[in-house]
Amino acid sequence: MTSPLSKTGMAACLIILILCALTPLLQSDYLIDVVTEILIVALFALSLNIIIGYSGNVSFGHAAYFAIGGYVNAILLTSYGWPLLPSAVAGVFAATLTAAIVAYFCTRLTDIYFAMLTLAFSMLVWAILFKWRSLTNGDDGFTPVHVPAMIDDRTAFFYFTMIVIVVSIAVLWVITHSAFGRSLVAVRENVGRAGFVGIHTRRMRWQAFVIAGFFAGVAGVLFGMYHRGMYVESAFWTQSAQVLIMTLLGGIYSFFGPLIGAAVLFMLERLTNEYTEYWPTVLGSILLVILLFQPDGLVGLGKRIKNKFGGGGSP
Amino acid sequence: MKRILAGAVALAAMGAGSAALAQDIKIGVLYPTSGGGAIYGGPAMVGHNLAVDEINAAGGINGRMLVTVARDSKLNPAAAASAAKEMVTKDGVDVLMGGLSSAVGLAISEVAKQEGVVYLATIPKTIQMTTSKLHPHVFRTSSNTDFEGDAMAQLIKKIGGKKVCDIQLDYAYGHDLSDGLKAALKRHAPDVEIVLNLRPKLRATDYNVFITQIMGAGCDVVTSGLWGSHFVDFAQQASPFGLFNNIKAYISGGEVASHEIAGKMGEDYPPNVISNTYELWYHAVSPNHKVFQEKIAEKSGTKETAMWPVLSYTGVRFYAEAVMKSGGTKSEGIIKALEGMTIDTPVGPRTINAADHQANTGQFWGPMVNKDGFSYKVMDPVTFIPAVIK
Repeated sequence: MTSPLSKTGMAACLIILILCALTPLLQSDYLIDVVTEILIVALFALSLNIIIGYSGNVSFGHAAYFAIGGYVNAILLTSYGWPLLPSAVAGVFAATLTAAIVAYFCTRLTDIYFAMLTLAFSMLVWAILFKWRSLTNGDDGFTPVHVPAMIDDRTAFFYFTMIVIVVSIAVLWVITHSAFGRSLVAVRENVGRAGFVGIHTRRMRWQAFVIAGFFAGVAGVLFGMYHRGMYVESAFWTQSAQVLIMTLLGGIYSFFGPLIGAAVLFMLERLTNEYTEYWPTVLGSILLVILLFQPDGLVGLGKRIKNKFGGGGSP
Repeated sequence: MKRILAGAVALAAMGAGSAALAQDIKIGVLYPTSGGGAIYGGPAMVGHNLAVDEINAAGGINGRMLVTVARDSKLNPAAAASAAKEMVTKDGVDVLMGGLSSAVGLAISEVAKQEGVVYLATIPKTIQMTTSKLHPHVFRTSSNTDFEGDAMAQLIKKIGGKKVCDIQLDYAYGHDLSDGLKAALKRHAPDVEIVLNLRPKLRATDYNVFITQIMGAGCDVVTSGLWGSHFVDFAQQASPFGLFNNIKAYISGGEVASHEIAGKMGEDYPPNVISNTYELWYHAVSPNHKVFQEKIAEKSGTKETAMWPVLSYTGVRFYAEAVMKSGGTKSEGIIKALEGMTIDTPVGPRTINAADHQANTGQFWGPMVNKDGFSYKVMDPVTFIPAVIK
């Protein structure tokens, strides 16, 4: 995980990037929508993994920052007529600030207590969005969101999303592969030891939480504009659970794991829904299989297959 | 690398598949068919499928068959919006239909606006859809909270109510219905006073604190929009206090007069309830209606059918008529055709207002009473209150 990107990895990233960028050439609105949505949920899952995979805490309330980013941006754009840049920045700032406050309390706890407190705070955010009808339109959802004319077009919005997401992922990559990222992993592996070597473990965990809140906010801002609406369900614990499953499915011990998990789970849900309404059953089965047989997710599975058939070269 | 390329090719192939155009007319329909919403979505699909089958059996519309593309709305607006978008961009549906909760309805409406596809809201009642959030592509064939509130005000006037306790769920529908009722009271019975406004939470199960407040407020009428299980819980907790016996009437929106509720509650259904429903399986307004009810009974496997099929059925019928009238499925033509259109539905003629795209869908209202031959309460007499706001 902490190894720099290998040459093949770099080439693979570049090819995926180019393929993504070429999507609009296929002239399929459906594909553009699907890739846009996958990019957004992928960033959301990657941001959560900073807390789970890197700092070693499980958050059950990550949807809160996603929803705050989305709502603040949507409200400022629509109700107050702000231009895109300040409103998006305000959205991300609000998400980050909330994450900073929540993390201040949560990082005093560990394990299940940490998880429960993140859940409690996120449900608080949900309740505020639900009850503050004059501002958020409550459970009717905040629609429509006025998207600036410049990106008010499927293809333009796609490229806009892609640029924002790619830059965000690059920044996340740099953060997680810096000294900070490595120290975080040390905290995850052994808090006591990390503390003895001079790492301020609680502050590190707080910083990881804030970074995760920031990028969840970015994903939320994009989500609200993509759907032209924000809904209270986006802050509900089920949304937090979904992104958690995406992260687990892809693999928490790999930087790109959550991205793969998000894409796979998203497509699976889409395709399953076309044939049956029993998606929750499918989801439950997937979760069971991951937890019982594949705790390091799809990336772990891929590595194992590669080691078995590909001569076992180190990753 | 090969795998990545293969994946990309597969994705591209999926996209290309959607470009295939058939002569069929595709209807994209969204009802909740899983989880808690399935008890509404299931029957709604029965009515939808009946309309589609009938039209296809009669040779389709100008020779073109109707095909249903159905997705589970999951009662989740973002999921419903994604599904609606997918049906338009991938499956190439010509029209969107359905929705259940207000939020889901508004989310689908937003997709319809973006994609330029007509959306017929067959169940959502939020007034915003046809007022502040109205756009050319959205039409509503169900009732709305203003019509419902107006009917409630008329009933308060009719029974001579003076002091009203209003208990509404604390979410969109409850607030909108309360507003509709208050505005209507000013028109119909300005001397009626609302002495108590109570707002239990959505999905509340304990109403004791509200029950004692109502008992102490000295009102002669209780108005409400507690629907489904909310009403069942409220009634079961309020009956031992004699709440329903101490008032002239409990006048309720939220269709608690439907057989789904009355049949389920049986003897526990409280007295003095006056409520509404779109459909009563034991009450036919015309021979056509009777035939419709029999067909629904056959499809549902019980003669005691739900009220939802008539709503979804009506939506399909309106659309079919619009396709026929405009001679195609182009949205502009459909919009023009639907504006001001009147069709015969099983429960009587319905017209869509050209200005606000709202159909004049009234409802059956009446007191719920015990009757020989029934083990549950039934509406008698049944009065149809038309959707007219004077």
